[in-house]
Amino acid sequence: MRVLLAVSAATLVSLSLVPQATAQTSGTITARATVRQPITIATGQDLDFNIVLQGTPKTIASTAAAAGRFDATGTLSANVNVNFTLPANLVDAATNNLPIGTWTGCINPSAAVNTSGCTAIANMAGTTASAFGNVAGTGRLWVFVGATVSPAAAQPVGNYSGTVTMTLTYF
Amino acid sequence: MPQLPRAHFPTALAILSALWSASSTAAQTTVSGVRDLNFGFVIQGLATQVSPTDPIKSGQFYFRTPGLGSRVRVQFTLPTQLNGPAGATLPIAFQTTDGFIKGTATSSIGLTFNPNATSTFNMVTSADANVWLGGRVTPAINQTVGGYTNTVIMTVTVF
Repeated sequence: MRVLLAVSAATLVSLSLVPQATAQTSGTITARATVRQPITIATGQDLDFNIVLQGTPKTIASTAAAAGRFDATGTLSANVNVNFTLPANLVDAATNNLPIGTWTGCINPSAAVNTSGCTAIANMAGTTASAFGNVAGTGRLWVFVGATVSPAAAQPVGNYSGTVTMTLTYF
Repeated sequence: MPQLPRAHFPTALAILSALWSASSTAAQTTVSGVRDLNFGFVIQGLATQVSPTDPIKSGQFYFRTPGLGSRVRVQFTLPTQLNGPAGATLPIAFQTTDGFIKGTATSSIGLTFNPNATSTFNMVTSADANVWLGGRVTPAINQTVGGYTNTVIMTVTVF
């Protein structure tokens, strides 16, 4: 009788162990984020060809005083990709087109100056890697843009304009 | 040397069987982290969400069970913040639809689930599955710039 009792108790123990025949395994990954300041881009100066003559192309270099300029701020020393959306024509109020092309540009991370320290952009239609400079503890970048307009001999007189868009993306 | 009474042999065998079953199941169950949950660049003051179905940024785990018919409990240990430079922290949260699980069989159907709660799944079409995790970080306007990280743990229990 004592044996039977012992076996019964032990059996209960063993039965209670069976449901715990589970396997628990863990794996890990890392959650990551990199915080950056918002990028701001202001129009520093429009690209202004001023008066152009019918049949006479006019070029403004990115290193010229009349070059267009974007003034950007962002995270100090952070890398950015620079991209442009460039018009093929300037347009007047009557929707006449004035062809514009041969875009040039340069980037200066130190000062709003294009006569020195401004690195030429090799391909205005592509992506250019750059980085915000450190100007008194602030991430700054100045981008200058030049181009050539080519008025036809019979180009309608008038005021022509178009929009140049620059996009900066952290990478 | 103490002798185990003969009457206790069945009990001992049952216990050993249970223990062997547990260790055997454990040996056949694997969990691994496949891809980090990577929010990439986030902007100060701008909450950023990653969907569990994002093919690049979502976190990914993989687990294998002993076989078809297994029942599994999936449980996460989720951080409430990511840790950054000089003790800075970045809040992170997980919504009720930030978990997604799908068996590896072509006939498997994906299921959205809540990673904040323990979920139970029956492994019907495949013995292994991928689990994807989304989330949301909420940087403050003056959030310290830099890199932030923390660990996500997924525990799979086969029962």
